[in-house]
Amino acid sequence: MVHRAPLWAKFLLVLLCGAGSWLVSDWAVSAAALALLSAVFLASGAGIRRLATAVRPVLPILALVGAFQWWQLGGPTAARIVLNVLVCVVAASIVTATTPVRELLDGAASLARPLERFGADPERFALTIAIMVRSIPFIAGAFADVRDSARARGLERNPRALVLPVFITTVAFARQTGEALAARGLGDADAG
Amino acid sequence: MSIVLDRPAVRIDVDGRAEPKTLLELPVLTLAEHRIGIIGANGSGKSTLLRLLNGLVLPTAGRVTVGGLDTARDVRAVRRRVGFVFTDPLSQLVMPTPREDVELSLRRPVRNGGERRARAEAVLDRFGLLGLADQSVYELSGGERQLAALAAVLAVEPEILVLDEPSTLLDLRNRELLRTILASLGQQVVLSTHDLEIAADMDRVLVIDAGTVVFDGAAPAAVDRYRALCGMPARP
Repeated sequence: MVHRAPLWAKFLLVLLCGAGSWLVSDWAVSAAALALLSAVFLASGAGIRRLATAVRPVLPILALVGAFQWWQLGGPTAARIVLNVLVCVVAASIVTATTPVRELLDGAASLARPLERFGADPERFALTIAIMVRSIPFIAGAFADVRDSARARGLERNPRALVLPVFITTVAFARQTGEALAARGLGDADAG
Repeated sequence: MSIVLDRPAVRIDVDGRAEPKTLLELPVLTLAEHRIGIIGANGSGKSTLLRLLNGLVLPTAGRVTVGGLDTARDVRAVRRRVGFVFTDPLSQLVMPTPREDVELSLRRPVRNGGERRARAEAVLDRFGLLGLADQSVYELSGGERQLAALAAVLAVEPEILVLDEPSTLLDLRNRELLRTILASLGQQVVLSTHDLEIAADMDRVLVIDAGTVVFDGAAPAAVDRYRALCGMPARP
Protein backbone atom coordinates (compact mmCIF):
# COMPACT_ATOMS: atom_id res chain seq x y z
CA MET A 1 0.00 0.00 0.00
CA VAL A 2 2.83 2.38 0.91
CA HIS A 3 4.52 1.54 -2.39
CA ARG A 4 1.45 2.53 -4.39
CA ALA A 5 0.89 5.83 -2.58
CA PRO A 6 1.65 8.72 -4.95
CA LEU A 7 5.02 10.38 -4.59
CA TRP A 8 3.52 13.74 -3.63
CA ALA A 9 1.75 12.10 -0.67
CA LYS A 10 5.08 10.72 0.54
CA PHE A 11 6.76 14.09 0.10
CA LEU A 12 3.89 15.65 2.04
CA LEU A 13 4.45 13.16 4.85
CA VAL A 14 8.12 14.16 5.13
CA LEU A 15 7.18 17.84 4.99
CA LEU A 16 4.58 17.39 7.74
CA CYS A 17 7.08 15.55 9.94
CA GLY A 18 9.61 18.33 9.43
CA ALA A 19 7.08 21.07 10.18
CA GLY A 20 5.59 19.07 13.05
CA SER A 21 8.96 18.85 14.76
CA TRP A 22 8.83 22.63 15.23
CA LEU A 23 5.28 22.64 16.59
CA VAL A 24 5.10 19.62 18.87
CA SER A 25 5.92 20.54 22.45
CA ASP A 26 5.23 17.24 24.21
CA TRP A 27 7.79 14.46 23.88
CA ALA A 28 5.04 11.84 24.26
CA VAL A 29 3.49 13.05 20.98
CA SER A 30 6.89 12.69 19.28
CA ALA A 31 7.25 9.17 20.67
CA ALA A 32 3.80 8.25 19.38
CA ALA A 33 4.61 9.68 15.94
CA LEU A 34 7.86 7.73 15.85
CA ALA A 35 6.07 4.50 16.78
CA LEU A 36 3.44 5.11 14.10
CA LEU A 37 5.99 5.87 11.37
CA SER A 38 8.11 2.86 12.31
CA ALA A 39 4.98 0.73 12.01
CA VAL A 40 4.32 2.21 8.53
CA PHE A 41 7.93 1.51 7.55
CA LEU A 42 7.67 -2.12 8.66
CA ALA A 43 4.24 -2.47 7.00
CA SER A 44 5.80 -1.44 3.67
CA GLY A 45 7.78 -4.69 3.83
CA ALA A 46 11.20 -3.02 3.92
CA GLY A 47 12.08 -4.94 7.07
CA ILE A 48 13.57 -4.08 10.44
CA ARG A 49 17.14 -4.38 9.20
CA ARG A 50 16.67 -1.61 6.65
CA LEU A 51 15.11 0.54 9.33
CA ALA A 52 18.17 -0.04 11.51
CA THR A 53 20.57 0.84 8.66
CA ALA A 54 18.65 4.05 8.01
CA VAL A 55 18.72 5.16 11.63
CA ARG A 56 22.16 3.93 12.74
CA PRO A 57 24.32 6.66 11.10
CA VAL A 58 22.54 9.48 12.99
CA LEU A 59 22.61 7.78 16.40
CA PRO A 60 26.07 8.99 17.56
CA ILE A 61 25.20 12.59 16.70
CA LEU A 62 21.80 12.25 18.33
CA ALA A 63 23.41 10.87 21.48
CA LEU A 64 25.69 13.93 21.64
CA VAL A 65 22.86 16.36 20.92
CA GLY A 66 20.61 14.59 23.41
CA ALA A 67 23.21 14.70 26.18
CA PHE A 68 23.90 18.38 25.55
CA GLN A 69 20.19 19.30 25.58
CA TRP A 70 19.61 17.23 28.69
CA TRP A 71 22.30 19.23 30.45
CA GLN A 72 21.04 22.57 29.11
CA LEU A 73 17.26 22.16 28.96
CA GLY A 74 16.38 19.02 30.88
CA GLY A 75 15.13 15.51 30.09
CA PRO A 76 11.74 16.10 28.38
CA THR A 77 13.10 18.69 25.93
CA ALA A 78 16.09 16.51 25.10
CA ALA A 79 13.81 13.54 24.49
CA ARG A 80 11.51 15.65 22.28
CA ILE A 81 14.36 16.92 20.11
CA VAL A 82 15.95 13.51 19.66
CA LEU A 83 12.62 11.82 18.91
CA ASN A 84 11.66 14.54 16.41
CA VAL A 85 14.87 14.06 14.46
CA LEU A 86 14.24 10.31 14.42
CA VAL A 87 10.71 10.93 13.14
CA CYS A 88 12.11 12.92 10.21
CA VAL A 89 14.76 10.28 9.44
CA VAL A 90 12.21 7.45 9.44
CA ALA A 91 9.76 9.47 7.32
CA ALA A 92 12.47 10.17 4.74
CA SER A 93 13.49 6.49 4.74
CA ILE A 94 9.91 5.50 3.98
CA VAL A 95 10.09 7.58 0.80
CA THR A 96 13.44 6.21 -0.35
CA ALA A 97 12.65 2.60 0.58
CA THR A 98 9.37 2.50 -1.33
CA THR A 99 10.14 4.59 -4.42
CA PRO A 100 12.31 3.59 -7.43
CA VAL A 101 15.09 6.06 -8.22
CA ARG A 102 13.62 6.98 -11.60
CA GLU A 103 10.32 8.01 -9.97
CA LEU A 104 12.20 10.10 -7.43
CA LEU A 105 14.02 11.86 -10.29
CA ASP A 106 10.83 12.56 -12.21
CA GLY A 107 9.41 13.92 -8.94
CA ALA A 108 12.44 16.14 -8.47
CA ALA A 109 12.18 17.39 -12.06
CA SER A 110 8.50 18.24 -11.69
CA LEU A 111 9.21 19.98 -8.36
CA ALA A 112 11.75 22.17 -10.15
CA ARG A 113 9.37 22.90 -13.05
CA PRO A 114 7.67 25.94 -11.41
CA LEU A 115 11.15 27.49 -11.11
CA GLU A 116 11.59 27.31 -14.89
CA ARG A 117 10.33 30.88 -15.38
CA PHE A 118 13.18 32.07 -13.14
CA GLY A 119 15.72 30.42 -15.43
CA ALA A 120 16.04 27.02 -13.74
CA ASP A 121 16.29 23.97 -16.02
CA PRO A 122 14.34 21.02 -14.53
CA GLU A 123 16.16 18.52 -16.75
CA ARG A 124 19.53 19.68 -15.46
CA PHE A 125 18.17 19.63 -11.93
CA ALA A 126 17.12 15.99 -12.33
CA LEU A 127 20.44 15.15 -14.04
CA THR A 128 22.36 16.65 -11.12
CA ILE A 129 20.43 14.56 -8.61
CA ALA A 130 20.82 11.44 -10.77
CA ILE A 131 24.60 11.91 -10.81
CA MET A 132 24.59 12.46 -7.06
CA VAL A 133 22.63 9.25 -6.45
CA ARG A 134 24.83 7.37 -8.91
CA SER A 135 28.04 8.63 -7.26
CA ILE A 136 27.27 7.34 -3.77
CA PRO A 137 28.11 3.69 -4.56
CA PHE A 138 31.25 4.86 -6.39
CA ILE A 139 32.53 6.77 -3.37
CA ALA A 140 31.62 3.87 -1.07
CA GLY A 141 33.55 1.56 -3.42
CA ALA A 142 36.53 3.94 -3.47
CA PHE A 143 36.57 3.86 0.32
CA ALA A 144 36.57 0.06 0.35
CA ASP A 145 39.42 -0.05 -2.22
CA VAL A 146 41.52 2.47 -0.35
CA ARG A 147 40.95 0.71 2.97
CA ASP A 148 42.10 -2.57 1.42
CA SER A 149 45.21 -1.05 -0.10
CA ALA A 150 46.03 0.79 3.14
CA ARG A 151 45.65 -2.47 5.02
CA ALA A 152 47.88 -4.25 2.52
CA ARG A 153 50.61 -1.71 3.32
CA GLY A 154 49.95 -1.75 7.07
CA LEU A 155 48.67 1.84 7.07
CA GLU A 156 45.14 1.21 8.29
CA ARG A 157 45.64 3.35 11.40
CA ASN A 158 46.76 6.37 9.43
CA PRO A 159 43.72 8.58 8.71
CA ARG A 160 45.62 10.47 6.00
CA ALA A 161 46.23 7.23 4.13
CA LEU A 162 42.45 6.67 4.14
CA VAL A 163 40.93 10.09 3.57
CA LEU A 164 43.33 11.66 1.07
CA PRO A 165 43.19 8.94 -1.61
CA VAL A 166 39.38 8.79 -1.43
CA PHE A 167 39.29 12.55 -1.82
CA ILE A 168 41.60 12.46 -4.84
CA THR A 169 39.76 9.53 -6.43
CA THR A 170 36.47 11.35 -5.98
CA VAL A 171 37.75 14.54 -7.60
CA ALA A 172 39.16 12.50 -10.50
CA PHE A 173 35.80 10.73 -10.85
CA ALA A 174 34.01 14.08 -10.88
CA ARG A 175 36.30 15.32 -13.66
CA GLN A 176 35.80 12.15 -15.70
CA THR A 177 32.04 12.41 -15.25
CA GLY A 178 32.15 16.03 -16.39
CA GLU A 179 34.20 15.06 -19.43
CA ALA A 180 31.81 12.24 -20.26
CA LEU A 181 28.81 14.58 -19.96
CA ALA A 182 30.50 17.13 -22.19
CA ALA A 183 31.42 14.47 -24.76
CA ARG A 184 27.79 13.38 -24.93
CA GLY A 185 26.55 16.95 -25.14
CA LEU A 186 24.52 16.52 -21.94
CA GLY A 187 23.80 19.33 -19.54
CA ASP A 188 24.25 22.00 -22.21
CA ALA A 189 22.32 25.13 -21.38
CA ASP A 190 20.33 25.33 -24.61
CA ALA A 191 17.64 22.80 -25.38
CA GLY A 192 18.62 22.56 -29.09
CA MET B 1 33.06 13.04 -43.57
CA SER B 2 36.69 13.57 -42.82
CA ILE B 3 38.68 14.90 -39.92
CA VAL B 4 41.38 17.42 -40.75
CA LEU B 5 44.10 18.23 -38.24
CA ASP B 6 45.84 21.36 -39.40
CA ARG B 7 49.13 21.38 -37.49
CA PRO B 8 47.49 21.30 -34.05
CA ALA B 9 49.65 21.56 -30.95
CA VAL B 10 48.67 21.16 -27.32
CA ARG B 11 50.87 22.89 -24.75
CA ILE B 12 50.34 23.39 -21.05
CA ASP B 13 51.97 25.67 -18.52
CA VAL B 14 53.84 23.81 -15.82
CA ASP B 15 54.72 25.32 -12.43
CA GLY B 16 58.39 26.16 -12.13
CA ARG B 17 59.09 26.07 -15.87
CA ALA B 18 59.44 29.12 -18.05
CA GLU B 19 58.54 27.27 -21.25
CA PRO B 20 55.14 25.58 -21.60
CA LYS B 21 55.30 21.81 -21.95
CA THR B 22 54.32 20.38 -25.33
CA LEU B 23 51.97 17.39 -25.03
CA LEU B 24 51.29 16.98 -28.70
CA GLU B 25 52.52 18.55 -31.93
CA LEU B 26 51.14 17.12 -35.15
CA PRO B 27 51.67 17.72 -38.87
CA VAL B 28 48.75 18.21 -41.26
CA LEU B 29 46.72 15.00 -41.11
CA THR B 30 43.54 14.08 -42.96
CA LEU B 31 41.76 11.18 -41.33
CA ALA B 32 39.31 9.81 -43.88
CA GLU B 33 39.82 6.03 -43.67
CA HIS B 34 37.02 3.87 -42.33
CA ARG B 35 39.11 2.35 -39.51
CA ILE B 36 41.99 4.29 -37.96
CA GLY B 37 44.15 3.08 -35.09
CA ILE B 38 46.52 5.02 -32.86
CA ILE B 39 49.24 3.16 -30.99
CA GLY B 40 52.10 4.33 -28.80
CA ALA B 41 53.55 4.10 -25.32
CA ASN B 42 51.84 5.30 -22.13
CA GLY B 43 51.91 9.08 -21.95
CA SER B 44 52.83 9.49 -25.63
CA GLY B 45 49.81 11.68 -26.38
CA LYS B 46 47.26 9.17 -27.72
CA SER B 47 44.44 10.27 -25.41
CA THR B 48 45.19 13.94 -26.06
CA LEU B 49 45.00 13.31 -29.82
CA LEU B 50 41.63 11.55 -29.47
CA ARG B 51 40.30 14.37 -27.27
CA LEU B 52 41.21 16.88 -29.98
CA LEU B 53 38.74 15.15 -32.29
CA ASN B 54 35.62 16.12 -30.30
CA GLY B 55 36.82 19.32 -28.66
CA LEU B 56 37.40 17.89 -25.18
CA VAL B 57 40.92 19.26 -25.66
CA LEU B 58 41.38 22.37 -27.79
CA PRO B 59 44.60 22.97 -29.72
CA THR B 60 46.71 25.83 -28.40
CA ALA B 61 48.01 26.31 -31.96
CA GLY B 62 46.68 25.15 -35.33
CA ARG B 63 43.14 23.86 -35.72
CA VAL B 64 41.02 20.72 -35.97
CA THR B 65 37.94 20.40 -38.16
CA VAL B 66 35.40 17.60 -38.45
CA GLY B 67 33.45 17.69 -41.71
CA GLY B 68 34.43 21.34 -42.03
CA LEU B 69 33.29 22.25 -38.48
CA ASP B 70 35.92 23.77 -36.20
CA THR B 71 36.18 21.95 -32.84
CA ALA B 72 36.73 25.23 -31.01
CA ARG B 73 33.94 27.29 -32.58
CA ASP B 74 31.28 24.65 -33.30
CA VAL B 75 31.97 22.33 -30.41
CA ARG B 76 28.32 21.28 -29.90
CA ALA B 77 27.80 20.41 -33.54
CA VAL B 78 31.11 18.52 -33.53
CA ARG B 79 30.12 16.50 -30.47
CA ARG B 80 26.81 15.57 -32.06
CA ARG B 81 28.78 14.05 -34.96
CA VAL B 82 31.57 12.46 -32.93
CA GLY B 83 30.67 9.85 -30.31
CA PHE B 84 33.34 9.24 -27.68
CA VAL B 85 33.84 6.04 -25.65
CA PHE B 86 36.12 6.29 -22.62
CA THR B 87 38.44 3.58 -21.31
CA ASP B 88 36.49 3.19 -18.07
CA PRO B 89 32.79 2.77 -18.83
CA LEU B 90 31.91 3.54 -15.20
CA SER B 91 33.00 7.15 -15.62
CA GLN B 92 30.88 7.38 -18.73
CA LEU B 93 27.64 5.78 -17.59
CA VAL B 94 25.97 8.59 -15.68
CA MET B 95 22.67 6.94 -14.82
CA PRO B 96 22.08 4.03 -12.42
CA THR B 97 20.97 1.52 -15.12
CA PRO B 98 21.76 0.94 -18.84
CA ARG B 99 18.15 1.67 -19.83
CA GLU B 100 18.15 5.05 -18.08
CA ASP B 101 21.55 5.89 -19.52
CA VAL B 102 20.49 5.18 -23.09
CA GLU B 103 17.25 7.11 -22.52
CA LEU B 104 19.33 10.01 -21.22
CA SER B 105 21.28 10.06 -24.50
CA LEU B 106 17.99 10.14 -26.41
CA ARG B 107 16.34 12.90 -24.35
CA ARG B 108 17.29 15.69 -26.75
CA PRO B 109 16.73 14.00 -30.12
CA VAL B 110 13.54 12.11 -29.15
CA ARG B 111 11.06 14.32 -27.29
CA ASN B 112 8.22 11.81 -27.04
CA GLY B 113 8.55 9.58 -23.95
CA GLY B 114 7.02 6.42 -25.44
CA GLU B 115 9.00 6.69 -28.64
CA ARG B 116 12.18 7.28 -26.63
CA ARG B 117 11.56 4.13 -24.58
CA ALA B 118 11.05 2.10 -27.76
CA ARG B 119 14.23 3.49 -29.36
CA ALA B 120 16.22 2.77 -26.18
CA GLU B 121 14.96 -0.81 -26.10
CA ALA B 122 15.89 -1.29 -29.74
CA VAL B 123 19.44 -0.06 -29.09
CA LEU B 124 19.83 -2.22 -25.97
CA ASP B 125 18.50 -5.22 -27.87
CA ARG B 126 21.03 -4.69 -30.66
CA PHE B 127 23.85 -5.07 -28.12
CA GLY B 128 22.18 -7.98 -26.32
CA LEU B 129 21.61 -5.89 -23.23
CA LEU B 130 17.83 -5.93 -23.01
CA GLY B 131 17.85 -8.56 -20.27
CA LEU B 132 20.24 -6.42 -18.20
CA ALA B 133 18.52 -3.11 -18.93
CA ASP B 134 17.30 -2.51 -15.39
CA GLN B 135 20.30 -3.81 -13.46
CA SER B 136 22.56 -1.39 -11.64
CA VAL B 137 25.64 -0.55 -13.71
CA TYR B 138 27.68 -1.69 -10.71
CA GLU B 139 26.25 -5.20 -11.03
CA LEU B 140 27.29 -5.55 -14.68
CA SER B 141 30.54 -7.22 -15.69
CA GLY B 142 33.30 -5.11 -17.26
CA GLY B 143 32.33 -6.27 -20.75
CA GLU B 144 28.64 -5.58 -20.21
CA ARG B 145 29.48 -2.11 -18.93
CA GLN B 146 31.61 -1.36 -21.99
CA LEU B 147 28.73 -2.53 -24.22
CA ALA B 148 26.29 -0.34 -22.30
CA ALA B 149 28.59 2.67 -22.74
CA LEU B 150 28.87 1.89 -26.45
CA ALA B 151 25.08 1.53 -26.73
CA ALA B 152 24.53 4.90 -25.02
CA VAL B 153 26.95 6.60 -27.41
CA LEU B 154 25.68 4.89 -30.59
CA ALA B 155 22.02 5.52 -29.63
CA VAL B 156 22.27 9.05 -31.01
CA GLU B 157 23.84 7.75 -34.25
CA PRO B 158 27.06 9.76 -34.47
CA GLU B 159 28.86 9.72 -37.81
CA ILE B 160 32.27 9.09 -36.24
CA LEU B 161 33.06 6.90 -33.24
CA VAL B 162 36.18 7.62 -31.18
CA LEU B 163 37.28 5.03 -28.60
CA ASP B 164 40.05 5.52 -26.04
CA GLU B 165 41.65 2.12 -25.33
CA PRO B 166 38.30 0.33 -25.45
CA SER B 167 39.64 -3.16 -24.74
CA THR B 168 41.94 -2.37 -21.81
CA LEU B 169 39.49 -3.57 -19.13
CA LEU B 170 38.03 -6.47 -21.13
CA ASP B 171 38.69 -10.20 -20.95
CA LEU B 172 39.43 -12.18 -24.10
CA ARG B 173 35.82 -13.14 -24.80
CA ASN B 174 34.58 -9.57 -24.43
CA ARG B 175 37.46 -8.24 -26.47
CA GLU B 176 36.47 -10.55 -29.33
CA LEU B 177 32.87 -9.38 -28.97
CA LEU B 178 34.06 -5.76 -29.17
CA ARG B 179 36.10 -6.53 -32.30
CA THR B 180 33.07 -8.12 -33.96
CA ILE B 181 30.88 -5.14 -33.08
CA LEU B 182 33.46 -2.62 -34.27
CA ALA B 183 33.83 -4.50 -37.56
CA SER B 184 30.05 -4.36 -38.07
CA LEU B 185 29.64 -0.61 -37.51
CA GLY B 186 28.85 1.70 -40.42
CA GLN B 187 30.52 4.61 -38.63
CA GLN B 188 34.05 5.79 -39.20
CA VAL B 189 36.08 4.53 -36.21
CA VAL B 190 39.16 6.14 -34.66
CA LEU B 191 40.60 4.29 -31.68
CA SER B 192 43.70 4.16 -29.55
CA THR B 193 44.84 0.80 -28.25
CA HIS B 194 47.63 -1.21 -26.70
CA ASP B 195 46.08 -4.31 -28.22
CA LEU B 196 48.12 -5.05 -31.32
CA GLU B 197 45.53 -7.47 -32.69
CA ILE B 198 42.90 -4.74 -32.62
CA ALA B 199 45.44 -2.41 -34.23
CA ALA B 200 45.89 -5.00 -37.00
CA ASP B 201 42.16 -4.73 -37.85
CA MET B 202 42.61 -1.07 -38.81
CA ASP B 203 42.97 0.35 -42.33
CA ARG B 204 45.53 2.93 -41.22
CA VAL B 205 47.60 3.14 -38.05
CA LEU B 206 49.43 6.14 -36.58
CA VAL B 207 52.30 5.50 -34.18
CA ILE B 208 52.66 8.30 -31.65
CA ASP B 209 55.83 8.85 -29.66
CA ALA B 210 56.61 11.79 -27.36
CA GLY B 211 53.73 13.84 -28.78
CA THR B 212 54.47 13.42 -32.49
CA VAL B 213 53.57 11.03 -35.27
CA VAL B 214 56.56 8.79 -35.98
CA PHE B 215 54.80 6.44 -38.38
CA ASP B 216 51.67 6.69 -40.50
CA GLY B 217 50.60 3.84 -42.73
CA ALA B 218 49.40 0.27 -42.94
CA ALA B 219 48.87 -1.75 -39.78
CA PRO B 220 51.61 -4.42 -40.06
CA ALA B 221 54.40 -1.90 -40.66
CA ALA B 222 53.04 0.33 -37.89
CA VAL B 223 53.08 -2.52 -35.40
CA ASP B 224 56.68 -3.35 -36.38
CA ARG B 225 57.66 0.27 -35.85
CA TYR B 226 55.98 0.32 -32.45
CA ARG B 227 57.73 -2.90 -31.40
CA ALA B 228 61.07 -1.40 -32.44
CA LEU B 229 60.29 1.74 -30.41
CA CYS B 230 59.71 -0.46 -27.37
CA GLY B 231 63.04 -2.19 -27.91
CA MET B 232 61.57 -5.45 -29.15
CA PRO B 233 62.55 -7.43 -32.24
CA ALA B 234 60.23 -7.29 -35.25
CA ARG B 235 57.70 -10.12 -35.45
CA PRO B 236 59.05 -13.35 -36.90
